[in-house]
Amino acid sequence: MIEIKNLYKSFGGDEVLKDICLTVQKGQVLGIIGPSGSGKSTLLRCINNLELPTKGTIHINEKLAYQDELGKVFSETEISITRSKVGMVFQHFNLFPHMTVLQNVYAGPKFVLGQDEEEYRSEALAILGSVGLAEKRDQYPEQLSGGQQQRVGIARALAMKPDVILFDEVTSALDPELVGEVLGVLKKLAEAGMTMLIVTHEMGFVRQVADRVIFMDEGRIVEENSPAEFFDNPQHERTRSFLSSVLSHTD
Amino acid sequence: MSFFDLIHPEVALDALPTIFKGLLLTLSVCLVCGVLSLSLGMFVALGRMSKSRILRISLGAYVQFFRSTPLILQLIYIYFALPFAGIHIPPLPAGIMGLTLHYTAYLCEVYRGAIEAVPKGQRDAARALGMRNRVVMARVIMPQAVRTIIPALCNYMVQLLKDTSLLSVVTVQEMMFRGQIFAAETYDYFTVYSIVFLIYFAVGFPGIKLVDYLEKRMKKGYASRSVIKAVNINETTTQGGK
Repeated sequence: MIEIKNLYKSFGGDEVLKDICLTVQKGQVLGIIGPSGSGKSTLLRCINNLELPTKGTIHINEKLAYQDELGKVFSETEISITRSKVGMVFQHFNLFPHMTVLQNVYAGPKFVLGQDEEEYRSEALAILGSVGLAEKRDQYPEQLSGGQQQRVGIARALAMKPDVILFDEVTSALDPELVGEVLGVLKKLAEAGMTMLIVTHEMGFVRQVADRVIFMDEGRIVEENSPAEFFDNPQHERTRSFLSSVLSHTD
Repeated sequence: MSFFDLIHPEVALDALPTIFKGLLLTLSVCLVCGVLSLSLGMFVALGRMSKSRILRISLGAYVQFFRSTPLILQLIYIYFALPFAGIHIPPLPAGIMGLTLHYTAYLCEVYRGAIEAVPKGQRDAARALGMRNRVVMARVIMPQAVRTIIPALCNYMVQLLKDTSLLSVVTVQEMMFRGQIFAAETYDYFTVYSIVFLIYFAVGFPGIKLVDYLEKRMKKGYASRSVIKAVNINETTTQGGK
């Protein structure tokens, strides 16, 4: 589904990603954890081409995405088509403030896929219902709580019927009591077989939902394992120190 | 001696026809320069944000030059200095050109500033859905940028209206110029310039009030519009039910 080989990314002289190799199978849920500044978000943004890698290749659905092996960037049309199959949900929701909730959800189908109004409206309503917000459809994002906004963000990504969804710290900006409703939606998606890459600090959630976990530090993947092994029997010293510091103050 | 003792109604009445003729030209120049600089400003703004380095640098130089020098000097230069270089431009076109060049530089910055002020996350979210750059601009960036752009543009249009008075120095017969001539002929500077003042105020003040109104309105959330819509829908449904 997604295959990343020898991926590097630098900002100026700063190497943020170093030799990342990663494969995600269809239907898999990958938890990505690590300290801030370790390159987790940059990795997700590269998979959606919001950042252009410095070196390396990304295959999505067995096809080279965005760039060829020599680094030549594909056309805007090709990039847009690939992106439309890779959904993304953001830490700060990034809902379109000038659109109603429903308009946000069908923004993709309407402006990217060019569907008929009847089609995109009814599908958007169904998706909005599945995240429990059908009755909010005519409100504006500013009228919703953070948790509700983030559920709209997820619905907006789902409306494109993506092959994979990237979640970039989607609960980090929420009040603690609103985290649960968003994680609940994520869990439902995982159970329905959606391929997901989840950058998060919610260790308990990763343990419960993820099929695999990677731990990143200073731009590298330090450790990759099953959740049970990862949390109970971490192999690397760096992983152990990170987990002990994170888990000690959340428990 | 009161203000009204200084105003001579007979001079005022004599002055009105010529001053109104001037007002007509003032408004026409304002309209022409307004339309030109509103549209050119958008092109220059897009050029300043384009990928082409040459375009960015040359347009940037133009904008900075016209913003850092006085408008009156720009007008005088076009009309009085350029003829020495063999470029002769009649008063009205020279005035329109000067005002348009000046205001395009300012309006370009209004557009550019408003577009760049839309949070980066908006672009990310739109692109992540697969929107092409043009769609991102038309459906996501511009609808948000107009809230900053519209009050600022109205403000500049009022300023443009006032600045057309500077065309009097390049002998364009707009309202200020006509006032000057009439005042010099009658020696009744007080009456004539008082009238000119009143007319500029009568045209400019509603413009300023409009700017205030727009600024207040645009500051409100997007939802305040939907409340009005919802009320209307409720009314129609209840009426329909009766």
